[in-house]
Amino acid sequence: MESIPPLAFPACKQKKKPMNDSEQFNLQRRRVLMGMGAAGVALAGTALSCPAMAASPAQVTEAPSSDKTEDRHAFHGKHQTGIVTPRPACGMLVSFDVLASDREDLERLFRTLNERIAFLMKGGPVTQVDPKLPPVDSGILGPVVTPDNLTITVSVGESLFDERFGLADTKPKRLIRMVGFPNDALEADCCHGDLSVQFCSNTTDTNIHALRDIVKNLPDLLLVRWKQEGSVPPQAPAKPGVPAQSARNFLGFRDGSANPNSNDAKTMDSIVWVPPGSDEPAWAANGSYQAVRIIRNFVERWDRTPLQEQESILGRVKSTGAPMGGEHETQVPDYAKDPEGKLTKLDAHIRLANPRTAATQANLILRRPFNYSNGVNKNGQLDMGLLFICYQADLQKGFITVQTRLNGEPLEEYLKPVGGGYFFTLPGVIGDKDFIGRSLLDATQPALQPKATA
Amino acid sequence: MKKSPLALLLTLGLLNTPHSAFAATAPLELVGPISDYKIYVTEQLDELASHTQQFTDAVKKGDLATAKKLYAPTRVYYESIEPIAELFSDLDASIDSRVDDHEKGVKAEDFSGFHRIEYSLFSENSTQGLGELADGLNKDVKDLQTRVAGLTFPPEKVVGGAAALLEEVAATKISGEEDRYSHTDLYDFQGNIDGAKKIVDLFRPQIEKQDAAFIAKVDKNFAMVNKTLAKYKTRDGGFETYDKVKENDRKALVGPVNTLAEDLSTLRGKLGLN
Repeated sequence: MESIPPLAFPACKQKKKPMNDSEQFNLQRRRVLMGMGAAGVALAGTALSCPAMAASPAQVTEAPSSDKTEDRHAFHGKHQTGIVTPRPACGMLVSFDVLASDREDLERLFRTLNERIAFLMKGGPVTQVDPKLPPVDSGILGPVVTPDNLTITVSVGESLFDERFGLADTKPKRLIRMVGFPNDALEADCCHGDLSVQFCSNTTDTNIHALRDIVKNLPDLLLVRWKQEGSVPPQAPAKPGVPAQSARNFLGFRDGSANPNSNDAKTMDSIVWVPPGSDEPAWAANGSYQAVRIIRNFVERWDRTPLQEQESILGRVKSTGAPMGGEHETQVPDYAKDPEGKLTKLDAHIRLANPRTAATQANLILRRPFNYSNGVNKNGQLDMGLLFICYQADLQKGFITVQTRLNGEPLEEYLKPVGGGYFFTLPGVIGDKDFIGRSLLDATQPALQPKATA
Repeated sequence: MKKSPLALLLTLGLLNTPHSAFAATAPLELVGPISDYKIYVTEQLDELASHTQQFTDAVKKGDLATAKKLYAPTRVYYESIEPIAELFSDLDASIDSRVDDHEKGVKAEDFSGFHRIEYSLFSENSTQGLGELADGLNKDVKDLQTRVAGLTFPPEKVVGGAAALLEEVAATKISGEEDRYSHTDLYDFQGNIDGAKKIVDLFRPQIEKQDAAFIAKVDKNFAMVNKTLAKYKTRDGGFETYDKVKENDRKALVGPVNTLAEDLSTLRGKLGLN
């Protein structure tokens, strides 16, 4: 039996007498009898993998362990990360008002953001200052910041292209202020914004650390407008030879089954990324349109709906995620063989969203949603739903067309979109001399930015 | 192989206690500004006491119009010296607690002071039943005067007060939640800003010696806030109600306020105070 490491109890090591061997043995024996051995505790406490747990017994206050805290993504690249990057367990979308008063300030904003993101995604020791001063870092990840799979994705809203910064002429052609759909009940304080920053990582704390870092470093240039956090429930590892299953949303259905293959660069080039030489401004190449929607789910009502009705509304089998009549989630429904909607109703969610015709291939989008839970509404019902985020090369042909097809769908009785916005995700940062937003700034005043060209 | 975080820290020499970046200001250099600050606080409290007397007189006489008019200009003296007033937490609660501080809201038995009276005056348009609350407020303010007179001002509280005042602004003034019934938040806003600026001005020579660029930046942000606030000054020397503040002006206030809050949070350290 290993002894309990004294370092784990700095606060109590002087006061309490150390456990003797037999006490420790009894404690461990009790834990084993209760089915709560070290591995059991770790599995219960975290969904993150924790292979080869040491045999030492876990303590109540012991943190869930993860071997993924050093996982990192390269910040530099043609495209930003956090789009085709596999979704980690935790996501957060924060919309900001830009407080910069001129272009010089705007450039300082982008350069500072660039510097912070580069650091946060890489990790490393935090600068220590005179303890008489406030520390430069919140410290919530400790003195050495771990990247923990963090991606930070920066997008700009339509309002950034107003008269303030002289960017109007370079606005992406399809970027508009989000307009409410018939079933929306948009709340002004969680809509739109000059800038959206999407944080994704293994833990909520890593996302919050990154947000607090950015807020602290840009007090005069950014103001948080709204923020929504969400999560993806980790799934058991896929069995060999069987495709991974999609996570479930708060309606209890697998969500993301028909997403295009994000590992296929060609597919992503046609669906997600604005290609060079398109009708979009040249600076926007390799960017993408981001549509964000905070979609409240009426979960109590949903839970009082018969299973067969839930399934026919969605168009999928709840247990497996398979299309109606199918066995596996990955099966593709054949609507041509079901023209009257006998198997999959014509107004089923998945059929309207993706009718799988040749013409509607142009409307494919890459969804990257997170489940959210915010507390309780005034009526005592749970405030939860989907933080829907999707990316596409053409906002109009993508999200707007898909959502327009969904207008009036039976699922609307259980949904109420309350917030979100449309943004343009900036092209990636391609080297140390480049910075996020550089191509946008250059496009409007190339003569003033000679040094910034990468 | 990855280095453990501890090894990394040791390599970088970051586990050593960081050296103090600022030479401590000689204690003698702080004596002057601190006694000047005490004079300032005493003057503000004298004003607070005499204005509170007039305000509560109007309330007790049932003169609703006068009471409403005097409410904001009276409070402003409290707001400018809040970091010192807050040292007496019992009085701060009875003089200046807001409705949110009470689980039972306006009906809470221990909800007293300015904001409780504000509720009756502005939300109920009435001076009914306020006699006891008015007397209590007067008594509390006089008590505060006595206690502050006997107080030795702790240097770190005085210098730290500049940051504390900005935190007040950032937390409750920007959102217009301070005076939710009268909407006279801009008076308090100006009071907090003036109180913070006073502290910076008193310690200006000492701060300048440590960091001249810092003072210039702080001055610039104070000026930006004051410029925006000035847009809403009325002819009688007061302020428009907070609901009149345009969205772009509210945003124009947030940047400098948050930056001042960040910058002034380093003031104690810059002067070598613990």
